[in-house]
Amino acid sequence: MPNTNLLQGTLDLLILKALALTELHGLGISRRIAQITKGTFQVKPGSLFPALHRMEEAGWLSASWGDSENNRRAKFYRLTAAGRRQLQAETRQWETIALAMASALEAG
Amino acid sequence: MPLLSRLASLHRNLFARPRVERELDDEVRAYLNELAGEKRAAGIGAAEAMRAARIELGGVEQVKEEVRQVRTGQMLHEFFDDLRYGSRMLRKNATFTAVAVLALALGIGVNTAMFSVAYGILFRPLPYANAGRVAVVFMRYFPRDFAFGTMCMRDYLMWKEDNRAFESPSLFRSLRMDIAGKEGVPEQVQGASLTAGLISTLGARPLIGRIFREGEDKPGSSSVAVIGESLWRRRFAASSAVLGQTILVNGAPSAVIGVMPAAFQFPRRDTEVWSNLVLNPPTRYGPWFYRGVARLKPGLTLAQAQAETNHIGLRMMRENPSYKRLELPVLSLRDALLGPTLKPAILVLAGAVGLVLLIAVVNVANLMLARATVREREMALRLSLGAGRGRLVRQLLTESVLLAVLGGAAGLALAWGSIELVRAWNPGNLPLIDSVRLDGRALAFTLLVSMLTGVLFGLAPALESARADLNSTLKEGGRAGAGRTRGRARAVLVVSEISVSLILLVGAGLLLRSFANLQRVTGGFSTPPRHILTMLISPGNRKYSDQAAGLAFYDEAIRRARQTPGVESAAVTDALPPDRQGDADTFALEGQTLPPGVINPIISDVTVSPDLFHTMGIPLIRGRGFSEHDRQGSEPVALVSEGFVRRFLPDREALGTRIKQSGPGYGDNWMRIVGVVGNVKYLGLAVDTDPAYYMPFAQSYGPRMFLVVRAPGDAAPLAERLRRDIQAIDPGITLAQIGTMEQALALSVSQPRFDTMLLGLFAAIALLLAAVGIYGLIAYWVAQRTQEIGVRMALGAARADVVRMVIGQGAQLAAIGIAIGLAGAFALTRLLRTMLFGIGVTDAATFVAAAFGLMLIVLLATFLPALRATRVSPVVALRYE
Repeated sequence: MPNTNLLQGTLDLLILKALALTELHGLGISRRIAQITKGTFQVKPGSLFPALHRMEEAGWLSASWGDSENNRRAKFYRLTAAGRRQLQAETRQWETIALAMASALEAG
Repeated sequence: MPLLSRLASLHRNLFARPRVERELDDEVRAYLNELAGEKRAAGIGAAEAMRAARIELGGVEQVKEEVRQVRTGQMLHEFFDDLRYGSRMLRKNATFTAVAVLALALGIGVNTAMFSVAYGILFRPLPYANAGRVAVVFMRYFPRDFAFGTMCMRDYLMWKEDNRAFESPSLFRSLRMDIAGKEGVPEQVQGASLTAGLISTLGARPLIGRIFREGEDKPGSSSVAVIGESLWRRRFAASSAVLGQTILVNGAPSAVIGVMPAAFQFPRRDTEVWSNLVLNPPTRYGPWFYRGVARLKPGLTLAQAQAETNHIGLRMMRENPSYKRLELPVLSLRDALLGPTLKPAILVLAGAVGLVLLIAVVNVANLMLARATVREREMALRLSLGAGRGRLVRQLLTESVLLAVLGGAAGLALAWGSIELVRAWNPGNLPLIDSVRLDGRALAFTLLVSMLTGVLFGLAPALESARADLNSTLKEGGRAGAGRTRGRARAVLVVSEISVSLILLVGAGLLLRSFANLQRVTGGFSTPPRHILTMLISPGNRKYSDQAAGLAFYDEAIRRARQTPGVESAAVTDALPPDRQGDADTFALEGQTLPPGVINPIISDVTVSPDLFHTMGIPLIRGRGFSEHDRQGSEPVALVSEGFVRRFLPDREALGTRIKQSGPGYGDNWMRIVGVVGNVKYLGLAVDTDPAYYMPFAQSYGPRMFLVVRAPGDAAPLAERLRRDIQAIDPGITLAQIGTMEQALALSVSQPRFDTMLLGLFAAIALLLAAVGIYGLIAYWVAQRTQEIGVRMALGAARADVVRMVIGQGAQLAAIGIAIGLAGAFALTRLLRTMLFGIGVTDAATFVAAAFGLMLIVLLATFLPALRATRVSPVVALRYE
């Protein structure tokens, strides 16, 4: 696993992005994040669960129990309207930062 | 929306905790299963897959704990957890809890009670709308020299004319009033005479009816009366028909115009009738009966008003050369009502309870430290299981604050009881005692003090515990550990406890000795106070202002009193020791030459019937006393006191010299001095005896007199019979202030007694707490050294050696504490200066006695553990390890 520490707030954005298309359960989110970051980020349960619960309490996610693809009971998370707004806001913010960092690093 | 979601989460996390926990558990396990399923699908065996999944997950409990930490309301939840855990710990250690709660209850309780008293008397707004802007104006001048003296009508008119600092300058005087009317038997009450604008200047409103109208103090105004609620209920059954009814006030028909609510207590707490003071143009200076009341003009401070008023004083002195060093002290209404002695006493007592609380806090901190040693293993265990140090400190603090709040609650009950007691007892007629109560403010104060107290005694032990060194503690099996530093901390605490106790003890000792001095002061009479009964007679009927009728009435009263069984002798006087001064006036001596403009001091002039000296036991030192022959028509005579002779006739023969009252209007009534009598205190036991001269009642009649009788034993039982016998002479007369001299003496020193008792009580509590503290420390010390003592005894140490060793420990601490305490007391007792009588603030005997007393208590407290140490069996002690 690459030695990449998640920046504070980055995890939130990744979770929001992972849930942008469809609802997922915890392991699904973990795998989806690994997939969309091409394996750069492996989110561990010890970080994932507190983040999910925090975001749910903030009203960005809602959760419900359902059956997984392997017919096991699992808790599924989906974006709420507030979560979508948050995703947009954080995406914009990230783009600004990324742009700024990129130009900073390119500067002679 | 986010807020709503947060609130919903908070509610769920706090109140649906089991469901939330269950769901969390389900969720994490589901994740685990899913993970294991994934691994099985990759071809790993079931058991191996589960093991790998667990490792990847990193522990179900740890993950759950991580989630808990981010939950909304987690702090609150942990607080409740701590509270639950704390109360379980307190329940488990019932003895510790009881001792700590008791110490805190005492410490916090006296503070709550004292806070209520101090707030009620010194700060609670007075029940008059303008009270904050109202000032009372006194007059002080030589030769009279009363700090808060009175003025006369002429002075008032001058003040009113020149006044620029005040709105509506008003005038009042206090006086006894006879009330009579068709509604009941005559009675004597406390009254006041007020100019028309005074009540509205205060901003007070009547319960029913009206207050005085503007102009009702102009010459020629008819007499009207406003009565108090208590009198209204007592005499008029609280009927509104009282309005317009005519009553006799001191014999003058007055229409009742209004009723004031019970909260209106001006100028005295017991004033029940207010009559309109009619400002007839004065023809001379005097009588000096009055004080001024006025409202500060907007924007003016009391100090500015004082400066303005000083000019008027200068003019008064110019106009009347017999006024020397005249001042017009301007006091706030509250300070005027309180008088000069109460405020410093209350501040001293408030400081004293602060010290008591300090000792209680130190005591409990000490207990906590002792317990911290016992709980060292528990703390180390919790630390090693992953509890954060901050979390541990928070938990221990929660525990100590819980303890303090429990103590505070118990203290509140204590305070409530003592406030009720003080109010019911009302020592010495404390003014404003009715505004002393346990209210929301006192509750808030108690809560605040409790919390602060909890943090104060809990913080150090909590920090100390959380710092525990895991390795050594767990290895040592729950003993020693940080024992050495902790032992030193406890010794420091005990030393400070002892020194603070000593300060209180010295203060209480000084007050006690001062009070004993006061009790030793005799009023100047030798009849036992218990054998003297006195009552104030007022012949309400106006016919007695005629001298002949009046003299006949009092002759009859004395005759009947003598005939009452149990009465040995009877007399009348218009002044009584220890503090019921009658008239006071200046005087002239034949052959005395004074510089121009200088007059003799104003001193007590007392009118008495011949038997007074015999009845009271006032010694006749030279010459003769008064007799039945000193009547109207015979040569006017007088007696003077020893002090009078010493001060005014030091090198002349007193007997035969003539004296006269030289107040205006007395003409040329020279009286021949026929005898010298002992000094009598008329201005209070603590006041230096003022010189006095006496005139025979038959030659200097006044209608309101004290009847004094002497009995061979306790005179109190005579009161009822005597009252009936005197009343039978004329149903129109009124009797008041019936009581023995013993009661009068006790009442006159009730404030010093109050101060002394309270400070004594506080010192006793402090002493008790300090004794418990040092006992605890030494007992702990002995327990820690069981083994050492055992070895010593096994090696042949005698019991006496062991006792000496243990007591020596206590004595060493006590000596340090006492040394510090003596220095502290030396610095602080000067605050008591105004409260002490006949004793200096650094009285050596008191300091030494307090130090020895405290040392004795400390040694006693160490003796028990020392005794226990001698019972240590060497065999047991050595096996103890």
